Amino acid sequence: MRYELPQPYQELSHTADTGIAAEGATREEALARLVLALGALLAGGGSVTPDVEETVVGAGGADLAQTAVAALREVLFRFATRQVVPGACEVLSLSPGRAELRIAFGRFDPARHREGADVKAVTYHRARFEPVPGGWRAQVILDV
Amino acid sequence: MKLRRIHDWLWEIPREGGMKVPGRVYSDGPPAPDDPALAQVANVAHLPGIVKWSLAMPDIHWGYGFPIGGVAAVDLERGAISPGGVGYDINCGVRVISTRLEAERVLERRHEVTAELYRTIPTGVGASAAIPRLSPREMDEVLSRGARWGASRGYAAASDDLDHCEEGGCLAGADPSLVSERARQRGADQLGTLGSGNHFLEVDRVAEVYDEAVAAAYGLRPGEVAIQIHSGSRGLGYQVCDEALADLTPQMARYGPDYAALPDPQLACAPIESPAGRRYLGAMQAAANFAWANRQVMTGLAVQALCRSLAAPEGDVGARLLYDVCHNVAKFEEHVVDGQPRRLLVHRKGATRAFGPGDPRVPAAYRAVGQPVLIPGDMGRYSYVLAGTAAAMEETFGSSCHGAGRLLSRHQAMKLARGRSIHRELLDRGIEVISRGKKTLAEEMSDAYKDVARVVGVVASAGLSRRVARLEPMGVIKG
Repeated sequence: MRYELPQPYQELSHTADTGIAAEGATREEALARLVLALGALLAGGGSVTPDVEETVVGAGGADLAQTAVAALREVLFRFATRQVVPGACEVLSLSPGRAELRIAFGRFDPARHREGADVKAVTYHRARFEPVPGGWRAQVILDV
Repeated sequence: MKLRRIHDWLWEIPREGGMKVPGRVYSDGPPAPDDPALAQVANVAHLPGIVKWSLAMPDIHWGYGFPIGGVAAVDLERGAISPGGVGYDINCGVRVISTRLEAERVLERRHEVTAELYRTIPTGVGASAAIPRLSPREMDEVLSRGARWGASRGYAAASDDLDHCEEGGCLAGADPSLVSERARQRGADQLGTLGSGNHFLEVDRVAEVYDEAVAAAYGLRPGEVAIQIHSGSRGLGYQVCDEALADLTPQMARYGPDYAALPDPQLACAPIESPAGRRYLGAMQAAANFAWANRQVMTGLAVQALCRSLAAPEGDVGARLLYDVCHNVAKFEEHVVDGQPRRLLVHRKGATRAFGPGDPRVPAAYRAVGQPVLIPGDMGRYSYVLAGTAAAMEETFGSSCHGAGRLLSRHQAMKLARGRSIHRELLDRGIEVISRGKKTLAEEMSDAYKDVARVVGVVASAGLSRRVARLEPMGVIKG
């Protein structure tokens, strides 16, 4: 299923940095919302108009949490090198060690996204991907 | 967390479980036992080959893997190199450029000076194009030569800049071939850019001199202008760290039970002499050189901007690099341990090298008084120039604090800033701040940080550094 910004997510307090967490009825929904939570942070709450769609593969990691980190790292690399922000996301497959996502990216606009966070990295620190009542919850801490 | 008082300024976390050494925390009172940063000090004590102590400076706060403000020295034969012990922003550091300008002259044109700096040095998300994009060959040169590359291209405060950088502004051993294409892509157009978060460029005045003799040796005079730059290796360094963690994390168990048993995956590490360890080391050293080149290019650009905005020739400005320190790095250094000289790999994650008087690694001009130790505060208060001491050489592998340390999370700071104009508040205190957005100002406001004077008070009282001068901001640019 394809999810578009805005989606519900939680911003987590961390002394020097920041974290994001998202829930979904399925693992795939939780990961899609986590990707879009990263998009929302990068865009600083500004709207994103997707204009290019591509398949993103997050490979590696011993468990779902580390694989989610790998997927978000791929998204961040695209942001850092092409200044594109995820505006819609569908998780095509997800298992420990590999995630395949279809992501629609929109261009980062310095004016519209002026409050966007300059995220340096997606860390393994306190990365979680676990069942919760009613579904799944995924979280990562971002170095900003 | 158990804590034992060693003296008024030092507390010990006794060795237990898998800890190989005790933890030691410099603080002006008993640290809060439930502070998660203390657990990280204990976690770092599990590192294979760690020597003497897992150390925490008084600006310690919660990081990932290592606490920010942590120091760990490891044995070269049995020790591990940890990307988490360096951090994502490899060779994030600070430099101070002294000038012969009277502060009054800048105060009169404070807005013009700050605005010209903001126009000249790109800041914020995706900041790029301060100088033409580096060709692959130029990138190799930057990664090999560090600050020397910048100086050779004319980006400099004065002809002796390189003498006044830690390690001469270049880490030997850097191997550009180990820096991935992805890391190069992230850095290719970012040389000479500031970044965002807690990075800044300030126009300061020397507000107070505590030690006239040392200040004179450093070229600092009360009432004169100094420029302070805090930045690092930008996207290139982040990518190098990211890839190393992804490479090392799944491999930990293969290096033996000590590695498999490390309590936090962000402490991922490898034996220094292992292929993975050597790969990270060579790439990290190259990224450190990128950071030095970055600060060197910004130095040249900042001095030019200062001259333009004041319509002053360079000779009038009299800019000179006082010193450049890195506070996120791992370096091979010789230290005396239990009376014996030993070559160690010293990780400083949010800690500053602070070598004392007489050390041959301190530039000749400062050798009699000790290495300059540059400690930025927050944008609304002040920063300090300190001097390294003999005590630091004995107790902390020649290390001191690196800044104020955060008090509030970014989230808490945003809440506290609601309904306030941080820009206006700073203007009312005589500080011109230009930033890309309001969010950065809120996250970086003074309330979000500990008072750096208190942090400096601890390292001074503990004898790890001596106060030399206090700098106060007149103009600040932020990402």
